[in-house]
Amino acid sequence: MESLIEELKNKIIAGFNLEGVTPADINPEAPIFGSGLELDSIDALELVAILEADYGIVIAERAVADRAFASLRALAEFVQANRS
Amino acid sequence: MFRRTPVITGTGILCAAGCGVGAVWDALRANRSGLGPLTLFSSPRYASQLVGQVRADVDELAGPVRGSRSDKLAWIAAREALAAAGLADGPGTIDPARIGVMLGATVGGMLGTETFLAALLREKKHIFGRLRFHECAGAADLCAQQMGALGPVATLSTACSAGAMALLAAAELIEQGEADVMLAGAGDSLCRLTLNGFGSLLLLDPNGCRPFDARRTGISLGEGAAMLVLEAEETARARGATILARLAGWGASCDAYHATAPQAEGRGALTAMQRALARGGLAPGEIDFVSAHGTATPDNDAMETRALKQLFGNALPPVASVKRFFGHTLAASGAIKAVLAVQSLREQAVPGTLGFEVPDARLGLEPVREFRALPVAHILSNSFGFGGNNVALVFGRAEAAGSAGSRPTISNAGRARTSFAILGVGAVSAAGGSLAEIIATFRNGGAATSTFAIPALSPAAQATVYACGELGSDPLIEPGKRRKLSRLQQMALLAAHKSFGASRTSTVAPEKVCVAFGTGLGSLNDTAAFVENMILKDERAPRPALFTSSVHNSLASQIAIEFSLSGLNSTPIQREISFETALWQGTTELAAGRADLALVGAADELNQYQLAAGVRRGWWNGASASLRPFAGALKKHERPLPGEGGALVTLGHADSAASRLAVVSAIRIGRSSGQDAEAEARWVEQTLKRDGMAANDVDLLLTGANGLTAQDDFYRAVAAVLSRQAGRTVACAAYKHACGEYYSASAFGFFTAVALVRGELAPELCTADKTPLPGGCRTVVLLTVSPTGTKGMCCVRA
Repeated sequence: MESLIEELKNKIIAGFNLEGVTPADINPEAPIFGSGLELDSIDALELVAILEADYGIVIAERAVADRAFASLRALAEFVQANRS
Repeated sequence: MFRRTPVITGTGILCAAGCGVGAVWDALRANRSGLGPLTLFSSPRYASQLVGQVRADVDELAGPVRGSRSDKLAWIAAREALAAAGLADGPGTIDPARIGVMLGATVGGMLGTETFLAALLREKKHIFGRLRFHECAGAADLCAQQMGALGPVATLSTACSAGAMALLAAAELIEQGEADVMLAGAGDSLCRLTLNGFGSLLLLDPNGCRPFDARRTGISLGEGAAMLVLEAEETARARGATILARLAGWGASCDAYHATAPQAEGRGALTAMQRALARGGLAPGEIDFVSAHGTATPDNDAMETRALKQLFGNALPPVASVKRFFGHTLAASGAIKAVLAVQSLREQAVPGTLGFEVPDARLGLEPVREFRALPVAHILSNSFGFGGNNVALVFGRAEAAGSAGSRPTISNAGRARTSFAILGVGAVSAAGGSLAEIIATFRNGGAATSTFAIPALSPAAQATVYACGELGSDPLIEPGKRRKLSRLQQMALLAAHKSFGASRTSTVAPEKVCVAFGTGLGSLNDTAAFVENMILKDERAPRPALFTSSVHNSLASQIAIEFSLSGLNSTPIQREISFETALWQGTTELAAGRADLALVGAADELNQYQLAAGVRRGWWNGASASLRPFAGALKKHERPLPGEGGALVTLGHADSAASRLAVVSAIRIGRSSGQDAEAEARWVEQTLKRDGMAANDVDLLLTGANGLTAQDDFYRAVAAVLSRQAGRTVACAAYKHACGEYYSASAFGFFTAVALVRGELAPELCTADKTPLPGGCRTVVLLTVSPTGTKGMCCVRA
């Protein structure tokens, strides 16, 4: 789980071109969006695309995404449970 | 002051619910949805989506005209509207110069472009003909040509409010006396880009859209077109036309909040509705029915309900959304609702909200469920687009036409105030980004070219271009913001910072600043990247950020967000006169006092696919290594070297600013049937004359001359006729050797004109004969006449 969290951190940093942000800056227990990373709703949807491209997880509903993005740990658990 | 009330004398409609106003009305009356399976193209990801596809044979219905599916949808609806208005056989007694076309569009020929890219990426096939009708401006050109319209012709692209925005702009042109008759409306076809785009935003409802319903999750995508003939009441009465209804009020605003999400409290939507009511001299209590935008996305319907409750309080009139009948037709949406509003006023009945079943307790709104009779004198119709581009329109019964005198008359200052102060200019160009760099470029005889790689062609090729180079590190844009901006958005924002950022005053309220920022082709690279990804991955993992920046009005709305500007926000996309149309629209807001500052500009970027056709066709294989206006170097089959760039000018009231750089007046857009120098010179003179000037006030005619012999000779001939009329030399000049050829290059031309009249740029660096002007250069006319006939001009004075 911890390694998946690290993996996701790196994907977020690379996927969103977060200059100057390191994995250590991201709190795995905090909400991914609407917190310190200045990521917005379009970024959340980009993350949906990343999950589909990299883990084969298709999210079709906003509510599913909102639950999965409650925190990085929640996301890692979601990926673990749904990856193909 | 006399007010020219716009009335409606013809309507036409084509959508999934039916072909023709009567058929669509019958579907509404029967509460019958036109949504169904997607058969227009295959979509692996969205095959099961219900869509509002037009089932009729569009090619057959359109007849012999050529164009994209969107163009044909628009023309079919236009033909019906013109016939209803008694204008099917041409202008009749109306002067063609008094007839114009103002359309909205978002998709254009994207359907064909997708086919082109699929063939290229999958099979390495080059079918460049598929790109021929790519542009959104095609429908307006087609309609103008078919109608013989020689008045103002333009296209606006404010996403899902574009059709309503076109009606608003057409009404302005009529009110200010620029036209007597306007064809206004919009057409958009279904395509993979928008289907995948809304899919990437998780805004498609697999069950079909359910407006205002508690279970709603998104839109159903649709296609269609609707057109209205708007006419000055006096013109309609003089020719005995039947007045169907009148456009009683209109208002626009910008959320200045987010690229796609509406401001949750509906602040911008409320402002647009308030402005529309104020414009019509109406109180909320006089609205009998609201035709909601009602897309059925969770956010839109919640926001719109809040805004409506703020406007109407406890006296909310009946509200309905018709989206389930034919889907969300994007640009066409506002125009279709306009036609239906006219029909409601005539029939004294309103449509129901098909798809609504379970009330949403969070909204507390019970929309009209089924078609029913209702006495209606005024209907409010809302349209909200991405970027927070809001437009509200109010339609009134025909019987009330002519009684406008009893309402508070809004003074038509349109032609009274025609001079505007230029407060700031900013550019991003191949010539550089600062005045000093641009002057140095002109001294060097033109900008340096560079090569642009075209890896998509096999073998890989390259084109010689005038490119802006790296924008990445300019400190004017914060790094945190830059990561989310497309290259074209960065160009637009840089130009805005240089122009407006520098001349910004804290005394102007944000709602009194409007933005009109045009583009010929929009964010080509992000659009292409989205479609490439879609094709190569068979629609897996569509990219929302690329979709949102592919939207034409993302430039104007990013500018509004950057500076929190909530005045009118518009995006003209009329090929060569995109900038001139923006100039007209921005200064219209200033003239009427709705804005105290207008940010007006345009931008375009280079893209490999756009260049690929030129390489394959040998446009740039000749002797010409640079763009040299008036050099007569280009062979007949060649084209001027392409460029890119953006420029923005900040304008204010002529009397209010002491720190102005120069003054602009004689702003006008129009259309010619061909490039006739005598006729164009007359048009320029006439335009100058109505603003109190004459040909002999003009020192220099700054033109879009680009090295093509026919084009250069035409502009030279216009200058010669003006010289003859003036009794002295009006020098002919050009600017494209400094920026290259692209649709919005005249925005750079405007920058050049300001530098010329301020004495910063020596005229001989621009003039055809390379000689100085003995009398100096105090007054410049900037003239653009496109090969399709649309044209624009303005006069810049010291």
